[in-house]
Amino acid sequence: MRPLIRTVSSRGSRRRFRAVAAIAIAASLLAASACGGDSGGGANADGEVTLRFNWWGSDTRHKITQEVIDSFQKEHPKIKIKGEYGEWSGYWDKLATTVAANDAPDIIQMDEKYLREYADRGALLDLKKADGLSTDKFEPDTLGAGEFDGGLYGLNAGINAFTIVANPAVFKAAGVPMPDDKTWTWDQYTQIAAQITTKLNGKGWGTGAYGTNDASLNMWARQHGQSLFTKDGKLGVTPEGVTEFYTNLLKMRDAKATPTAEFTSQDMNAPLDQGGMATGKLAMSYSWSNQLNALSKASGQQLKLLRLPSVSGKATENGAYYKGSMFWSISSRSKHPKEAAEFVNYLANSTAAGNLLLAERGVPPNTEIRAEVAPKLKPADAASHAFIQEIVKELGEPSPPPPVGGGQVEKIIQRYTTEVLFGRQKPDQAAKAFIDEVNGEIK
Amino acid sequence: MSALSELGTLRRKKPPGHKRGPGGGAGKKATKDNLAAYLFLTPWLIGLFVITIGPMLASLYLAFTDYNLIQAPEWIGLENFTRMLSDERLHNSLRVTFTYVLVSVPLQLALALLLAVVLDRGVRGMAFYRSIFYLPSLLGSSVAIAILWKQVFGTEGLLNQLLAQVGIEGKGWISDPSTALGTLVALNVWTFGAPMVIFLAGLRQIPAMYYEAAAVDGAGSWRRFRSITLPMLTPIIFFNLVLQIIHAFQSFTQAFVVSGGTGGPSDSTMFYTLYLYDRGFGNFDMGYASAMAWFLLVIIAVLTAANFVASKYWVFYDD
Repeated sequence: MRPLIRTVSSRGSRRRFRAVAAIAIAASLLAASACGGDSGGGANADGEVTLRFNWWGSDTRHKITQEVIDSFQKEHPKIKIKGEYGEWSGYWDKLATTVAANDAPDIIQMDEKYLREYADRGALLDLKKADGLSTDKFEPDTLGAGEFDGGLYGLNAGINAFTIVANPAVFKAAGVPMPDDKTWTWDQYTQIAAQITTKLNGKGWGTGAYGTNDASLNMWARQHGQSLFTKDGKLGVTPEGVTEFYTNLLKMRDAKATPTAEFTSQDMNAPLDQGGMATGKLAMSYSWSNQLNALSKASGQQLKLLRLPSVSGKATENGAYYKGSMFWSISSRSKHPKEAAEFVNYLANSTAAGNLLLAERGVPPNTEIRAEVAPKLKPADAASHAFIQEIVKELGEPSPPPPVGGGQVEKIIQRYTTEVLFGRQKPDQAAKAFIDEVNGEIK
Repeated sequence: MSALSELGTLRRKKPPGHKRGPGGGAGKKATKDNLAAYLFLTPWLIGLFVITIGPMLASLYLAFTDYNLIQAPEWIGLENFTRMLSDERLHNSLRVTFTYVLVSVPLQLALALLLAVVLDRGVRGMAFYRSIFYLPSLLGSSVAIAILWKQVFGTEGLLNQLLAQVGIEGKGWISDPSTALGTLVALNVWTFGAPMVIFLAGLRQIPAMYYEAAAVDGAGSWRRFRSITLPMLTPIIFFNLVLQIIHAFQSFTQAFVVSGGTGGPSDSTMFYTLYLYDRGFGNFDMGYASAMAWFLLVIIAVLTAANFVASKYWVFYDD
C-alpha cells in the first residue's frame, strides 16, 4: 500500500499545479502580447491580403454578412476577408482575449458599451486618419457617438431605437386589440399586458420584464429627467430613481403582466431565437428596432414595433433617441489598415453592400444608401425603417456613451433585477447596491 | 509500480550477442542513455516550461500589477490582494465554491463507494456496469453534458416533464437562484465513476482471508464492511478525497455553460474560477484575476496539506 500513497502525493501536487495552469496559459498569451504578433495573416507573394472580420448576431445576420464579404471579394480579388462570428454573450470575452493576445481581428463590429473601453486604451484606429474611408454622406448626428477625444473610433453601422416589439398573433389569440402606442402610459401598458396574461391562461404572458439590460433603465431614467450616464462619464441615476424603476417592475409582476421570475431569469440570456418572443410565449417584449427582422424570422410571425409607454402618455416624453446600433472599428494593430478601411468604406458607402445589408443592423446612416435601400426593404426591415422615420419628431437628445467600465452595467443590472424579482432584495436595497457597484466599475 | 520495476529489469537485460560500439565505455553508455531519455522527454519538458512554468511566473508578476489586457501592466504592489478583502462578490464566490465542494464531494464519494461495494460482489456483466457507471466521468466536465444539463433542468426540461407525469409542478431549476447550485452539485455527483473505479481496485486488494476469518467468527455483512472493508480502504478514500476536492475547486466548464457565462442567476453559481475569468476577460482586470489565481492555489495547497495532516488520524496503512 505504501507505494500507492507515494503516487497519491505526487499526483496531488501535479493536480495542484494544474490548478493554475489554465490561468497561467491565459496569462502566457498576455505576456506574449508585449512582444508583438501577427494580426490575421500577412500579404503573401502575389500581394494578396487576408483580413479578419468579427461580428455578433443571429443566423440572419451571419448569412447576409457573408454575402457582403463575397461581393466585396469579387470586386477586390486581392483582399480576402475571413468572417468570425458568434453570439453576443460570448463575443466580448473572445474579443478581449484576442486583443490581449495581440491577435485582434482587423475589422471589429463594436458596441457603444465597449467603444471607449477599447478606444481609450489605444486598441482602435482613428478612422479619421484612415485612407479611403469617407463619411461625407453620413447624417451628421450619427457620427457623434463614435467620436471622442478628437478622433473617430467607431463608424455608425445603423440607426436604432429602443422599442417594444409586439406579436400581433398572440394579441389575437388573447382577443386583445393592439394598443395605441402614441398615448399609452405605464399603467395602461401594465393593464393590457395583464389582460393578455389572463386570457392566455397559462400559455404565455403579456410582456417580458424590463431591467434585463441597461437600455431599459436608461429609457426609464430619460423619462424621469435623468440618464444612465452623464456627459462627463459619471453615473446619472439616483437611488430614488432606480428604486422607483424596481418598484414599478414588481408592480407589473404582481399584476401578472410579466412572467415568473424563473422565466425572466432564464430568458434574459437566452439566444434571440430561443427567447420568449421567438417562442411565442410573450405578446410583447423590449427590443432594439433593428432586431425586428431577426425576431420576426425566429418567431415565424410578422412582429410589430411599438413606442415605449411614458409616464405622461405623451410620445414625445418617452425618452426615445437614435442610437448607433453598432459600429465598425478597425484594430489599431491591424497590419493592413488601408485594406481594412477599404472594406469598412464598402460596408458603409457602397450600394452593393447596402442592398445586401438592408436595415438588419439598423437603418443605414448614409443618407444616399438609405434612400437607395428603402424601396427594397423586406417587410420586417421596411417596418423598422418606417418606425425610425416615424418617431423622428419625438426624439430627445442622444444619450451620452458609457464611460470606460460602462460595459459591465448590463451584467450588473441583470443580477439586481434577478435579486428583486426573486424577492431576495427590496427595490431600495437593490438600487443602492446597484449604484455602489456601478460606481466601483466605471473609471 | 510493478510495471515500472519490470521496465527496469528489461533495460538491464542485454540482448545476447550485444556488442558495444567502438570505445564505448559504461560511462559513455550512460550519458548516451540519458541523452536519449531527455530527447524523448523534450516534448514534455517544452510543455512544462513553455505552457506551465513560464505562464505561472508571468501570472505571479501580473498579480502585483494593474493590467487591463490592452495596455502594459503597471506595478501596484499588494493592492490587488488588499482589494480582495473588501470584494463582496469574491466572498460570495468563495461561499458558493466551498458549498459546492463540501456538499458534492462527500455525496459523490459515498455514492462511488456504495456502487463499488455492490459491483465488487461479482455481479454478472460487471465489466458492462463498470463501463456504464464510468461513462459520466468521461463526459461530465464536457460542454455537451453541461448543455444537456441545462435542457434537463430548464423550465420546460425533462425533469419538469417527468414531475408533471406524477402531478408535481416543476420549476426553473437552473433559473432560480435557490436551486441553481443544486443542479451543479447533482452534475458533479453524477460523475462518481472515476472514484468508483479506484474504489473497485482498492477493494480487490483487500485479502480475502480477513473476510474468511471474520465470517468464521460470525460477523455479519455490515460488521465486515465496517471493520474490514472501511479501514482497509481508508488510503483509497483519502486518495479520492484529496483528488476530488482539488477537482471540485477547479470546476469551471459546468457553471460557465449552465449559467451562460454569467455565474447567475444572481451569482448563485458564481464559482471562484468563474469569477476569476469574469474579472480577467469580462472586466479587463487581469492583474486582479492573476492575484485571485494565486490565492486559489494557496487555498488548495492549505486544504490539501490539512488533509494530509488529518489523514494521520484516520487513514490506516496495512504495513
